[in-house]
Amino acid sequence: MSSRISTTRVHEAGIETLQKRQTELADAQERLTSGKRVAKASDDPAAAARAERALAGEMRAQTSERAVEASRTAMSLSETAMGDVVELLQQAREAMVAAGNASYTDNERKGLAEKLTSIRQQLLSVANRTDGAGSFLFGGQGAGAAPFVDAAGGVQYRGIAGERRTEPATDLPLTINGDGVFMTSLTGNGVFQTSAAAGVTQAWIDNGQVSDPSALTGSTYTLQFSVAAGATTYAVLENGLPTAVTAAPYVSGRDITVDGQTFRISGAPASGDQFTVQPSTATLSVFDTLDRAIGQLGTPSRTAAQIAQGNTDALRDIDQSVSQLQGARAAAGEMLVRIDSETGRLADQKLANQSERSRAEDLDMTDAISKFQSLQTGYDAALKSYSMVQRLSLFQYLNT
Amino acid sequence: MGASALMSLGMRAMTANYAALQATGHNIANVNTAGYSRQSVELETNGGQFTGAGFFGKGVNVASVKREHSEFLTREASTSRAIAAADETRSLQLQQLEKAFPLGEQGIGYAAGQLFNAFVDVANKPADASSRQVVLARTGEFAQRLRTAGEQIDNIQQGVTEELRASITQVNMLAGRVAELNQKIAAAQGSGQTPNDLLDQRDQAISDISQYLQVNTIAAGDGSMSVFIGGGQKLVLGTQTTKLVAVTDAFDPSRLQLGVNDSGSLRQMPDELVTGGAIAGLLRFQNSDLIDARNQLGQIAAAVAGSVNRQQALGLDGSQPAVAGSPLLSVGGPRVLPSSSNASVAGVPVASYVNGSGDRVPSVSLSVVEPTELQASDYELFADPSLAAGSYTLTRRSDGTSQTVTNGSVVDGFRIDIVAPAPAANDRFLLQPVAAAASRATLALDNPRGIAAASPVMATFDVDNTGTATLAALSATGVTPAAAELTATLTFTNDTGAYSWELRDAANALVRSGTGTWTAGQSIRSDAWTPATPAQRYDWELSLSGVPRSGDVLTVGKTSFPAADNGNARAMMGLRDAGLVGQVTQASGTVVPGVSVTDAYANVLANVGVRVQSARYSAQQSASIADDAKAALTDKTGVNLDEEAARLIQFQQSYQAAAKMLQVAQSLFDTLLQTAG
Repeated sequence: MSSRISTTRVHEAGIETLQKRQTELADAQERLTSGKRVAKASDDPAAAARAERALAGEMRAQTSERAVEASRTAMSLSETAMGDVVELLQQAREAMVAAGNASYTDNERKGLAEKLTSIRQQLLSVANRTDGAGSFLFGGQGAGAAPFVDAAGGVQYRGIAGERRTEPATDLPLTINGDGVFMTSLTGNGVFQTSAAAGVTQAWIDNGQVSDPSALTGSTYTLQFSVAAGATTYAVLENGLPTAVTAAPYVSGRDITVDGQTFRISGAPASGDQFTVQPSTATLSVFDTLDRAIGQLGTPSRTAAQIAQGNTDALRDIDQSVSQLQGARAAAGEMLVRIDSETGRLADQKLANQSERSRAEDLDMTDAISKFQSLQTGYDAALKSYSMVQRLSLFQYLNT
Repeated sequence: MGASALMSLGMRAMTANYAALQATGHNIANVNTAGYSRQSVELETNGGQFTGAGFFGKGVNVASVKREHSEFLTREASTSRAIAAADETRSLQLQQLEKAFPLGEQGIGYAAGQLFNAFVDVANKPADASSRQVVLARTGEFAQRLRTAGEQIDNIQQGVTEELRASITQVNMLAGRVAELNQKIAAAQGSGQTPNDLLDQRDQAISDISQYLQVNTIAAGDGSMSVFIGGGQKLVLGTQTTKLVAVTDAFDPSRLQLGVNDSGSLRQMPDELVTGGAIAGLLRFQNSDLIDARNQLGQIAAAVAGSVNRQQALGLDGSQPAVAGSPLLSVGGPRVLPSSSNASVAGVPVASYVNGSGDRVPSVSLSVVEPTELQASDYELFADPSLAAGSYTLTRRSDGTSQTVTNGSVVDGFRIDIVAPAPAANDRFLLQPVAAAASRATLALDNPRGIAAASPVMATFDVDNTGTATLAALSATGVTPAAAELTATLTFTNDTGAYSWELRDAANALVRSGTGTWTAGQSIRSDAWTPATPAQRYDWELSLSGVPRSGDVLTVGKTSFPAADNGNARAMMGLRDAGLVGQVTQASGTVVPGVSVTDAYANVLANVGVRVQSARYSAQQSASIADDAKAALTDKTGVNLDEEAARLIQFQQSYQAAAKMLQVAQSLFDTLLQTAG
């Protein structure tokens, strides 16, 4: 090193060091007050990018939470609504059970029909219930107006079957498929459907049950009765074609089994009476069930057998509808459980992203404070040393 | 010989020491003068007078005043100053640029993410006007942030331009000063003594030029100093100067480049020859950092706007009756900048024509065809005369790769159209697919109903289906209004996914039918089903979860209630995490997916951050080298007051001693007189 130093440089170097220290101190102070280690990308480019991604992740979780909340509202409202429907159907069932009372007169049954009419009205209003913001709970994939319309020939579903779902990241239902819940229960007992043909007045058929699932064929069977010389016999036709059973003897109330399907016909069938056993289809509408029951209860002068047949059918159909609704209600309840776990997962995700962001860009306070103090000491030392050095001059000692 | 000799010795000594004191005084006076080199008086003995008793000294002479000087250190200091100035300037400019890319909630990436996130409420409640309003507000915010960043970049460019002009003026002024000093020095040199202060002033002027532009110097025999800038271009030759000028960029008039006015003809200095000084820093920042930042920002803007608008167009909006959505976001379009040196006739460029609105436009034009494939770069189109007519060389400036293109070629997501009159041989065009995108970003939609939340198609499953298949996703990839009324029915014909399909029109007449096979994890696409007329595009993509069984029926039909459908809003949400930015289709056909908008912005941030960081490091480093070089120089040539104080005493005492000599001589003379008298 050179053995001399210029006076200007002593001052310049001094001033420069002081400025540098002061800048460092100000930076440290700024970081301390803002609590951020990364205030601009160049402070730590990799951490800035990480923080950016973590923030996006946090926002994504927050967005998904909104979707989940919307689904939660829809599901819990729907679940309640379906509970109400089940409640109403139970009332309808009670009415139908009451209608089976043999001592009831036509007028009393008419009264029950009026009760069912009011239940039907309530049912329709529940089915068309909205979430309070214009969206129909049972609107399916979309409906222009109220999805269930009381049209000629019964209530129709004017929405699109299916369900509307939230954004792809959560993919939760926002509506219930009203068509599936109200309009497409399985007819009959769920496997096959028994029915008496028109004109049968003195006999009735029960709902039956499956006695041998492996024997089921999916065919439609017709039982044709004939009465000859006081003996009642029946023939079984499969899809309109004769089978081996051509003249089986009939005993009221005895089990008849056809290809794994067991049912009972009671009463005294007349010659020419027909009963049909056909596979269930997903076409049973809650409203049609009630409409049929109302129609029948309102019809005067029916025979006991007709009344029994009507009540049996109505109870069966109501039970099918209730089971369909309870299935859907359980599914909604299940969805609410899933939503709860989804909420928990999203909260975790949000927290994870928040801490990731904090790790990436926040200041370690202990470290920062100790660094600040060491900078402070450094600045102090620089000030002191400069003030001492600048006092040293030979001229000070040359006062003569 | 006698008293007079002593008198003369004393006189000489007094003069010499007075001169030394004078030099010391000059040093003290100039202790703070920039570029001042400490001076000292060189003394020599005045020879001897021969006598029989030998030589008697005749006292002292002032030989000359010399300045403490080092050619090497001076050169070193000014070179390192030039490099430090370049690094410092670039670092400061980059720090300005960094402010255009804020972090976190203030950032563009955040705004883009929030734009997509806003669709969640639309998906939740498609009929709710307020959630649609939020989408508009968020889109507006995103556009605003793009614009602000774009404007900041434009402002920085303007600042660079102004600074370049000012720097060039300074260099010209300083060069003039060097020339003037050269003249004075050459004249003074004739006296046989060096004009120290003039030399100092010239060194200082050259060092000041270095601050703006790195220079080389060559000393001439007459004492004048010639100054050259990069590539041997002369700046000062003796007393002659060459004027530097700010010339506008051949392509982009908003940019300036460094040029020289060589006796009336303007010539641009190639960038690589401008190595040090603030001007070099500015040019490097302008020609690389700023362009990259602008293109990266534009790439995000164009990719997001292109993708969002395309998704809008695929969906149905909330108007009555619903129609395909109109663009949500508009950004600045691609630009073509012809070179100012392209062939022209009477001032009108050959490769240009007057368009329908009466404006003269270049024959070369660009249009974006695939926004996700746009790259953050400018391109140069060159009408290479060695290629066949109609073929051109296209160079991507970001990495220097070249390829041959013709009219209609699609490169990196944009199409190049070249119409008559064709460019002349050697014409050049700068193609900027994305550079202007961000600064002209605006919200293009003001009616919340205009947001296309609904999908034009929807799928329904037959209630009698026995399989477990449900809809995983159905997305329209292009359904034209002419095909909107079509209904597709898929019937599965076995349990392993074989299906037959039928397309029927609104009157239920069979349009087409066929068969296909679904495999788990693969989607069913309808693009091959429809007549290949563009008017009847009926493209959608459907994926199932679960497994269909034989006899299961699936129907895809027109969305009956667009107001209540959220299919397209869901698809918009899907764009949030899709690789929208910078997809690459390689020559082999392999598609390298792009990155999501969040990642794209994070990458831009990291990129700018790294540049700022490394520029700051190199600025610190070169500043410390420059400081060291300057310290070495000033330590050698600068004034030390303690030293001068000591010298002051030293010469004062010598002066006093010399005066005493006179006194003694005087008294000797008196003694002689008295004795004689």
